[in-house]
Amino acid sequence: MTDSPRILSIEDEADIRKFLRTTLATHNMTVVEAETGKEGLQKAVLQTPDVILLDLGLPDMDGMDIIRQVREWGRTPIIVLSARGQEADKVEALELGADDYLTKPFSAAELIARIKVALRNRNQPQGDAPFVYNHDSLIIDTAARRIRLDGEDIHLTPIEYKLLTVLARNSGKVLTHGALLSEVWGKHNSENQTYLRIHTQHLREKLKDDALNPRFIVTEPGIGYRLKP
Amino acid sequence: MTPDKRPNPDRLLELVRNESSEFPRGHLKIFFGSSAGVGKTFAMLTEARRRQSEGKDVLIGVVEHHGRSETAALVEGLPVLPLQEIDHRGVKVREFDLDGALARKPPLILMDEFAHTNAPGSRHPKRWQDVEELLDNGIDVYTTLNVQHLESVNDQVAKLTGIWVKETVPDTIFESADEIALVDIPSDELLKRLADGKVYVAEGANKRAAENFFKKTNLLALRELALRRTAERVDAQSDELNAAMGQNEAQVGQKIMLLIGPDPLSTRLIRHAKRMATRGRAPWYAVYLQSDRHEQLDEKGRTRVEQYLRLAENLGAQIVRLSGARPAQDILAYAQQNGFTRIVVGYRRPKWWLRPFQSTLAQALIEASDGMEITVVHGATGQARAPLQPVDALRPFLARPLDYGLATAAVALCTLIAFPFRDHTPSNNLAMIYLTGVVVVAARLGLGPSILASMLSIPAFNFFFTDPYYTFNFYDTYYYVTFAFMLVTSLVVGSLTARLSRHARLVSNRERETQILYGLTRGLSNERSVEMICAVAIKHLSGPFSLDVTVFVQTLNGLQTYPVGAASQDMREMGAVNWVAANGLMAGRDTDTMPSARGLYLPLQAESENLGVLGLTARNATQPFSGAEILQFEAFASLIAGALQRARRSEQAAEAKVESENEKLRNVLLSSLSHDLRTPLTVMNGSVSLLLRMRKELPRKAVDELTGLWSQLGRLQKFVGNLLDMAAITSGHMKLNFQPYMIQEIIGAAIGRAQATKGARTLRTQISGELPMVRIDGGLIEQVFINLIENAFQHTDDNGEIVIYVEKDADRLRVRVSDNGTGLKEGEEARIFEQFQKGQTLRSDRSGGTGLGLAICRGIVQAHGGMIYAKNNRSLPGQSDARSSAGASFIFTLPIATATAASEEI
Repeated sequence: MTDSPRILSIEDEADIRKFLRTTLATHNMTVVEAETGKEGLQKAVLQTPDVILLDLGLPDMDGMDIIRQVREWGRTPIIVLSARGQEADKVEALELGADDYLTKPFSAAELIARIKVALRNRNQPQGDAPFVYNHDSLIIDTAARRIRLDGEDIHLTPIEYKLLTVLARNSGKVLTHGALLSEVWGKHNSENQTYLRIHTQHLREKLKDDALNPRFIVTEPGIGYRLKP
Repeated sequence: MTPDKRPNPDRLLELVRNESSEFPRGHLKIFFGSSAGVGKTFAMLTEARRRQSEGKDVLIGVVEHHGRSETAALVEGLPVLPLQEIDHRGVKVREFDLDGALARKPPLILMDEFAHTNAPGSRHPKRWQDVEELLDNGIDVYTTLNVQHLESVNDQVAKLTGIWVKETVPDTIFESADEIALVDIPSDELLKRLADGKVYVAEGANKRAAENFFKKTNLLALRELALRRTAERVDAQSDELNAAMGQNEAQVGQKIMLLIGPDPLSTRLIRHAKRMATRGRAPWYAVYLQSDRHEQLDEKGRTRVEQYLRLAENLGAQIVRLSGARPAQDILAYAQQNGFTRIVVGYRRPKWWLRPFQSTLAQALIEASDGMEITVVHGATGQARAPLQPVDALRPFLARPLDYGLATAAVALCTLIAFPFRDHTPSNNLAMIYLTGVVVVAARLGLGPSILASMLSIPAFNFFFTDPYYTFNFYDTYYYVTFAFMLVTSLVVGSLTARLSRHARLVSNRERETQILYGLTRGLSNERSVEMICAVAIKHLSGPFSLDVTVFVQTLNGLQTYPVGAASQDMREMGAVNWVAANGLMAGRDTDTMPSARGLYLPLQAESENLGVLGLTARNATQPFSGAEILQFEAFASLIAGALQRARRSEQAAEAKVESENEKLRNVLLSSLSHDLRTPLTVMNGSVSLLLRMRKELPRKAVDELTGLWSQLGRLQKFVGNLLDMAAITSGHMKLNFQPYMIQEIIGAAIGRAQATKGARTLRTQISGELPMVRIDGGLIEQVFINLIENAFQHTDDNGEIVIYVEKDADRLRVRVSDNGTGLKEGEEARIFEQFQKGQTLRSDRSGGTGLGLAICRGIVQAHGGMIYAKNNRSLPGQSDARSSAGASFIFTLPIATATAASEEI
């Protein structure tokens, strides 16, 4: 990345906008601000931001509608800012195409970390393009269809392989249960979460991962899974 | 096994349900014998004593031991329900106390003599109806019954023994009994017992009858009948089971139609059809064709029809009333449309002189039937028990005397009209005037008067208009022809006209019914309030039937009466109303329940929900309601019930709307509160965290202050979070999003969150054995873990060791979060989960908790159907060593039953 990334913050609270502006500025990011949903949508088109920070409780528009409209034409990463206890909102936002969420109140460090993941994901290959994931001696090479852990080949079933590569392609990003189910098993299968639990458990066993102290696959209770970036 | 023979789960279920329904019905055991004196009561009492010795409470409702000492001895030691005294027209009668029995609600009650007829003034006319009510209330009943009291064998018994038994019990009751114990002794022994005086025989006139009854031939025949009936029942039961098991299906599609008429032959037909249906295990319907002949029936004939229909109903038939002008065609059309396979019809040979003119229904059916089986039961003359009422045949002639006077007057009038034309017109034309008179009389007054008019017209015509005038002589033989034609024409035209007008009356009656129904329907469809619905119902019903109409509507506070203030009903009437409301069955006059009430009470039922009672009191109380009228009333009741149901639905919808508006408001309030509190916190949090990142550029003192501010902010955040969670929990509107989870995943996530505040403490998890999946709200259970872990942090120092133990305990998952901190003070274990009951006032002082965390845990765990409690480690079993006996444990359970079912889907 040569020039500073451009962040659009759509937030009606002036104080939070100010905090976002200061925090982002200290990390060498350019901030574009919008007070209303309408303004936000305009700026999302005109200013071509690299990441959009979206508050779900806007006075003029439903945050979900903004996500839907942005996704109609582009893939700009969207990070949703929401309150605790609104898991259902988070899941809905993610399934509509938001990339991540931050629970208020959040710290500056958390904010920056999430934005960095979003920026990196933006540059990741899309669709079925081959990629390589490398984290903590787990190497996933989709071109070679090869998984290596601690220098040894791991043999996965087709479903486990699919599950792991979907997570890896979006590493660092939460994938909702629904998204994982329809990616791995197909659209009509998005209801039965027991499948997902069982296969995730098997995958963890093969990756010598522990749900209690995850090395790779992190559980987001009520939302989904995230593979460490 | 072919697929057809697989057990049919629905039928099996139904059998099971019959055996143990949701509201268990009492069990009925009948001690069944061939005649008095076989020892039924003795057997019943012996069995009851055995049950009592097994610890079952037994109550004697009624036992007649007729002074026999062996039986009387058995009664001793069993509690007896005192009989109630019923005052019937000044005579006190002692009768079984149904309400007393219902109030005591014994597990088992003994009711001797199942077929007994209750004294007038009792709630039900028959004891078997009392027993039905006891069974409905879950009370087991033992009773005794002789075979001759069974409805379906009633005529056979009469034929065999020559004695007509009046007290009968419907076969349906007998067939639905859970157990039949046949009490049987050989006839010779019974006769010996009789001779020894061990059998109760009534005194007086009945004594002779009874002696006739106890003849060996009779006893043998009755014994055979009893044995056969018991065997048939066993057959029926095993067939039922076989059918459910898919074997030996009952003859598929058999459906029997029995045609009932006013002829007393009908009772034989009914019993015949019943036996046929039982043998073929086929449903059967008793059909009454309400043709224009029905109009000709007198009151007795109509009552007989109703009796026959009721008899058929008691024997398990469904009742259908058809109306139509062409009996055979209408019946066959109905039979074909409704899938009947067989029609049973009675036949009486018409008198020889009528044969060329009259075609019987049986003949007509046979001729028109197309593939339908027709069973004809021949009622030979002399077979009928009650003679055919001559009044039926004469009915058209039984007009009022006044009508005959009017007919005579009409002839006189015709004469007067014709007289001025006598000399100007041929006399044939004048005959037309008489003919017109006959037609008018037939149309207005009916067949009888029209025949009289015809008869009178001839001599009048002869006297006034044939030469020679004023004599009954005539010169012209040509007048023979005139007279003959005049008579025949007037008779034919008269009878046709009379029939036509009868038909027109029938049509207009039906029209009127339709009008009332239509008016009621239209009136009700516009109303949404209970009050208006009742007003409409009262308006539409009271007028045309000259009835006093009262509607009782079930509300939370009991029955509300409409019109308001009409509840001046006496105790008996209100008793009937309450009984109908509670049982959902018709009662009152002209029914089987409380027939002595003045009003008729119909349940207002919609979708098997009792909404109230419709009370109908005839202003002219002498005439009983006919079956057809009662059917009509039932139709009205179901219309009214439908409207009430609609009213109730819309009321509920309105309530639900208010409720959901309230909930919406509450949610909006909560989320705006949450937003308003969190925005400044987010800002402060952000600013402080930013400042702390620049600590190198800040003076040391400022950094210290900022660090303090940072930790206080953390506390404030936690507090606000807890407060909002608690508000959601206590408002009872926490929505749980159940999903299957491995509990390790949730613990892992919670531990991840707790890392920031862990400090130097150790935090580990110990899982025993394989854990099944649980269905939980992941986010909320994570919160429980976080709260418990942070609670443990607050009560431990840097040496703190927090261990999470998880194990499967039967159908639950048991989680224990144990710390090695200061532990709980005595009596604190229970209180600690109360809101704002902070353990800290008794435990360590350093905690930054709000006292809400544990209350939130309790709320969440309880919402999952689990429980949560706290214990000091030293009070837990197996914590002997000193190190682990310090501190406290917080234990909660989660049910796993549904999760295992879910995981089996894979």
